[in-house]
Amino acid sequence: MKRLRVLKLGWEFPPLINGGLGVACLGLSQALAKSVDLTVLVPMGTPGADFKNFSLRGLNHLRLEEIESAEKRYRYQSFALVREIPIFLDPYDDGRSAAVSTCFEKTIRTEETVFSKTTAAQLETFKIGGLYGPDLGAKVIEFSKIAAKLAMLEEFDIIHAHDWMTFLAGVEVKKATGKPLVLHVHALQYDRSGSDDHGWIYEIEKHGMEQADCIIPVSRYTGEIIAKHYGIPGRKIRPVHNGAEPVASFATKKKFPEKLVLFLGRLTSQKGPEFFLETAARVIARDPNVRFVVAGTGEKLRPLIESGAFRGLGSHFHFTGFLDKEKVHDLLSMTDVYCMPSVSEPFGLSALEAAQFGIPAVISKQSGVAEVLKGALLADYWDVELMAKHIHALLTDPTLRATVIEQAKLDIAASTWDAAAAKVIKIYHEIIT
Amino acid sequence: MPDVCLYFQVHQPNRLLPYDFFRIGENAAHEDDSLNATILDKVAEKCYLPANAMFQHLIEENHGRFRMALSISGTLIEQMQRFRPDVLESFKNLVASGGVELLAETYYHSLAFVHSNKEFDRQVDMHLQLIEDVFSVRPRVFRNTELIYNDAIAAKAETMGFDGVIAEGVEANLDGQSPNFLYRAPQTARIKTLLRNSRLSDDIGFRFSDPQWSEHPLTARRFADWLAASEGDLVNLFMDYENIGEHQWQETGIFDFWNAMPEATQEAGLQWVTPSEAVDLYRASQAYSCPSLTSWADAERDLSAWMGNVMQQEAIGKIHKLEQKILAVNDPELTHTWAKMQTSDHFYWMATKGGTDGSVHRYFTPYPSPYDAYIYFMNVLADLHIRLRRALAAKGLDSQ
Repeated sequence: MKRLRVLKLGWEFPPLINGGLGVACLGLSQALAKSVDLTVLVPMGTPGADFKNFSLRGLNHLRLEEIESAEKRYRYQSFALVREIPIFLDPYDDGRSAAVSTCFEKTIRTEETVFSKTTAAQLETFKIGGLYGPDLGAKVIEFSKIAAKLAMLEEFDIIHAHDWMTFLAGVEVKKATGKPLVLHVHALQYDRSGSDDHGWIYEIEKHGMEQADCIIPVSRYTGEIIAKHYGIPGRKIRPVHNGAEPVASFATKKKFPEKLVLFLGRLTSQKGPEFFLETAARVIARDPNVRFVVAGTGEKLRPLIESGAFRGLGSHFHFTGFLDKEKVHDLLSMTDVYCMPSVSEPFGLSALEAAQFGIPAVISKQSGVAEVLKGALLADYWDVELMAKHIHALLTDPTLRATVIEQAKLDIAASTWDAAAAKVIKIYHEIIT
Repeated sequence: MPDVCLYFQVHQPNRLLPYDFFRIGENAAHEDDSLNATILDKVAEKCYLPANAMFQHLIEENHGRFRMALSISGTLIEQMQRFRPDVLESFKNLVASGGVELLAETYYHSLAFVHSNKEFDRQVDMHLQLIEDVFSVRPRVFRNTELIYNDAIAAKAETMGFDGVIAEGVEANLDGQSPNFLYRAPQTARIKTLLRNSRLSDDIGFRFSDPQWSEHPLTARRFADWLAASEGDLVNLFMDYENIGEHQWQETGIFDFWNAMPEATQEAGLQWVTPSEAVDLYRASQAYSCPSLTSWADAERDLSAWMGNVMQQEAIGKIHKLEQKILAVNDPELTHTWAKMQTSDHFYWMATKGGTDGSVHRYFTPYPSPYDAYIYFMNVLADLHIRLRRALAAKGLDSQ
């Protein structure tokens, strides 16, 4: 059978990563590329990052001439369908590489609009700044415009877009080419802000999912949120769990005698770091020979440091700040228990990574990874008493510890990107026919 | 016309390395020797050496009519012995001139008084011993770290045999009275309290180099006139030595100012006295009641510069909590390492105050943020604690 051709739209991609999104995109891309012809489009690619089975194109390396041939063919209309975007659009087509001072807000009317020619200035957006800077909105818009034009020059059967930053681009490419659109949902605005915040990111997510032919959330947990809070019909939602990249795990001896309980992740409300602190306070009250380590940084770092000091935990509760991959592995190699008290976690790749290092985990029921990791102890994220009990048990009961680790090993063996890719390809075939 | 009493604080802390989590338990060296040596070099070149030379010259030139006081912390003396013995020599020469009185303080420039009477005693004794060994003098007047003072400290200093104690002149406690007199703390019989004249001291210490100040540029002549016009028995000018050349660079004219001061004060008819001379000359006729702790730091003039937020309270509480066990091990090097972590600067760098005080805290810190200061301090503390437990186990002293 002829290989499917897939155009994948990503935002962050290794080595330029922020959280789990880039890692998941790479893992899935590498596995998919074994069976499909894959082209990946991202805003910023790193030169020299060589992906053997698929072609990665970063808009920051794009030349103006490449997309000019698509200009005439493309008519841009669907922007009118998005109700509110509080970002400034640049309607000028004067070829000057002007500074952003000429931007102003403009309402798009619903008749067909010929979109402006891409200017060198617009391409410059992708060469400067980071992926999640203050100009994120502008970058998202530019990405969708340029991706649509680039897509006109490629041949493919399916569009596969990852997370809200690329959903607009996905919709535009679908409109321009008529190909079916698959949206991969790794995280939702609902997870970040709860049900009260229906800002423009929520609108983009909802709009994209309504236009898509199929939605692939990374867990049933996220799938339920999509159905319930975004009003998407269940038949369009096809969860596929993330895989775990095989990793060379190792163990090292700690320099200190105490046990080590680890929290690894961005310090935002979503990840529940304050529940980690509460849990730690309870464990330490029972057994002071445990050190709790918070590895990561984020807006909650400072309040967490202060709360820890306030609770008198300063000598048992440690902060490492942001760690690179090598240091994360060093830390995992000496961890005794992994704790993930996330308030709302679509998946939670880090729990799988901990399992690969033979570390038993205590994880929040409000997470996607709880669906694949049977070898783990679960608790509601607010149930700090139970989490403390679980941690204490894993530290003091060797039989329980061994059982959990054994089961987790089996779970890991089944959680591969190849398995995920196979499910995705099955979905591709279903929507094509 | 009052006398003038001049005193400078001279101190450097032992700054810690950014000791990260992975090194806890390694029991590696904690102090950033390279940084401490570099800073000492810088301060020596800009302040200590030229200021010592200047004052020595002024003392000799004025045949002893110009005199002053210094207190030099134990931690700085150690650093000079280690990295810059020539600078210590210059201080010794200055003291040997006969025109410089040395004051006593806690060896480690710490807040020990607030946490442990026993540790406070130990540190003051250590400092007295060191001053005796290095300078062959016995201080008569006491100054607590950063002029931290209250009635209890005055009483304590009296029990320890000091004749005088210096403090910040806090308006609320003065209640309309002038700081330009010697005072008696409640429940003391003999010791006299010298209060800093904060307005005139800060005129030279801070406002001198501010071009926006209404009196800028300040001449020695004008300042001498202000001194002469002041009421009371004596004006106490208490400052940080680094005001000369380091906080206020040579370009501000600070050296020229001090060079001209002895002559200007002589023309105005003023007399310089050292703190113990003041104690001998004047009676303490009024009471100065100071029940809560005061200091010369920040706008609040209390302990908030070092203990105002939870990180500071946690860090300082935890380090002092180790006292009993540390002393039980009876290992001088371990005790010394622990005591150096009591130096007030460590906690000063954890302050999260905003405004002008905040920017002063940030100016002095070697860390990117107060949170980093706290984290690295606590990591070193954890490492020290592990070393302590190992030492206790080795001596069979662990209770578990």
